[in-house]
Amino acid sequence: MASLRTTSRLFAASRPLFRPASFARTYATVDSNVSETPKMKTFKIYRWNPDTPTEKPTMQSYELDLNKTGPMMLDALIRIKNELDPTLTFRRSCREGICGSCAMNIDGVNTLACLCRIPTETTKESRIYPLPHTYVVKDLVPDLTLFYKQYKSIKPYLQRDTPTADGLENRQSPEDRRKLDGLYECILCACCSTSCPSYWWNQEEYLGPAILLQSYRWLVDSRDEKTAERKAALDNSMSVYRCHTILNCTRTCPKGLNPGRAIAETKKMLAA
Amino acid sequence: MASFARSSLVRQSLAANRSPLLRQNVGVSQVVAFHASARKQILPPLPLNDPVPTPAPHPVEGSYHWTFERAVSVGLIPLTIAPFAAGSLNPVMDAVLCTLLVAHSHVGFQAAIIDYFRPQRVPKFSSFCHWLLRAFTLTTAVGLYEFETNDVGVTEALRRIWNA
Amino acid sequence: MFSQKLVQQSARRLAVQQPLAIQSMVRASPAAATLGLQKSVDKKALNRAVTSTAAEENSILAKQRMNRPVSPHLAIYRPQIGWVASGLNRVTGVALSGTLYLWATAYLASPALGWHVESASMVAAMGALPFAAKVLLKTIMALPFTFHSFNGLRHLMWDMGRGLSNNVIIKSGWTVVGVSVASALALAFV
Repeated sequence: MASLRTTSRLFAASRPLFRPASFARTYATVDSNVSETPKMKTFKIYRWNPDTPTEKPTMQSYELDLNKTGPMMLDALIRIKNELDPTLTFRRSCREGICGSCAMNIDGVNTLACLCRIPTETTKESRIYPLPHTYVVKDLVPDLTLFYKQYKSIKPYLQRDTPTADGLENRQSPEDRRKLDGLYECILCACCSTSCPSYWWNQEEYLGPAILLQSYRWLVDSRDEKTAERKAALDNSMSVYRCHTILNCTRTCPKGLNPGRAIAETKKMLAA
Repeated sequence: MASFARSSLVRQSLAANRSPLLRQNVGVSQVVAFHASARKQILPPLPLNDPVPTPAPHPVEGSYHWTFERAVSVGLIPLTIAPFAAGSLNPVMDAVLCTLLVAHSHVGFQAAIIDYFRPQRVPKFSSFCHWLLRAFTLTTAVGLYEFETNDVGVTEALRRIWNA
Repeated sequence: MFSQKLVQQSARRLAVQQPLAIQSMVRASPAAATLGLQKSVDKKALNRAVTSTAAEENSILAKQRMNRPVSPHLAIYRPQIGWVASGLNRVTGVALSGTLYLWATAYLASPALGWHVESASMVAAMGALPFAAKVLLKTIMALPFTFHSFNGLRHLMWDMGRGLSNNVIIKSGWTVVGVSVASALALAFV
């Protein structure tokens, strides 16, 4: 990667200032590292700068040679930031789908940039937006304050008054433990919540799929003793029941989890 | 040609405002204004780090409401199939169908109003919609009662219209 | 570059340990001032930084938040059978119930207004139409009904906690589309 960067800087310096995009082809053929013809792909990225708040958000195009770019969308974004435009702003950390920082809307679907392959089809441009219907802090960085406040409101921790039998551990049968599979893996990247139309329109009161999946994770935990209180906290018109089983959440989850099922089971628990 | 000239113009004006590093940047080819995003005041201002308030339990609007809604929907299934099988319905079943249809419609409209017109955003319009819905549900229920008693009944009327 | 940084660092350290000495030094040497020392001993600035309260910070943040745009949503989300079918479920539901509500209310008001929406006149109106218009009208009436009915079954299945995998969601969605179009056409030609 480092070597790529230096060569492209070199070429950039030797090029005339403004050259039509069609001439960009000559530059890769000079490059001895790459024998193939360049695969230029256009990335259109949502830009908004808080320093100039009166300016409307814009879509800015960048072109990258896919032969020199890593396979994932995050590689493309990092390369754009390193080589084309250092002002491009986005969150990223682990680059392996465990931190949830790089959640964004790529080609119309919410996902993690680090788990999303760049479509190899170069004729179609890729469009990258921040998570839908969020307040934009800058470029691809959404404000997730409300999301975290909602997470806090469901008390995402074990609530238990009875001391354990052996005074050491809260034990759980393998069957009860298995109920938490598909729930504990959630990394709170907010992809599902921000894909949900109900959450778009009513996010102040509706908790959204991610938080409801977390809520269900504590509802079914055999060690938790506040199940009744947890259910009562959800039993109103807004918290859960704004869910109309649109199921964008299940469709979009980059971790392959099923928030839609968790909400359906929550509703069944509340009705029983 | 025109579009090409415009894009290069934009690029020039862009480059003029940016750092020297960016000025050598051929990858940034164009910037277009984006129109589909709205600026609205939705969120109340902070405080940060506090959990959002938990609403008081209200099962009538929550779980009972949900169960009622499903029960009505399930009840509509046989009543929807029966007229196709039997050609029409007897007046009693027709009245039950009408009642369930009104209940189902009312609950459906209600959900739509809650979804799209939140009292926090449009308090007056929201309550106006709710009252309008109640009024219309009432007139619909009375109208259907009149139709059931004075006319041929909903399923029979539909059958006749369909075969006209 | 490196030596300059070294000078700056040592000067800063000095400024922290012996502020008076540095102040006299700054006054004496303009070169030191250019290194950014003036700023590091600007007591007013230091005080400002310390006295900003949580309330002030919140108000700055609140002001910032007012400026933030809402990111695009419905217009940019990829059309998928899941949410498009769900949206159509609501649209068709509102259309069907709206028709019922308007018609029933009109029927109630018809004696006062002199309208004719009773079954006999509607049957007569329908019978007067040419065949093509009949088929078109029947399709327009039947399609929302069949779609809402079959998709309603899908929603009831989900409410029982079944068929919630991505595979089933997509397949059942397209099945509903196919079945409702076919049955609506069948009804239209009855």
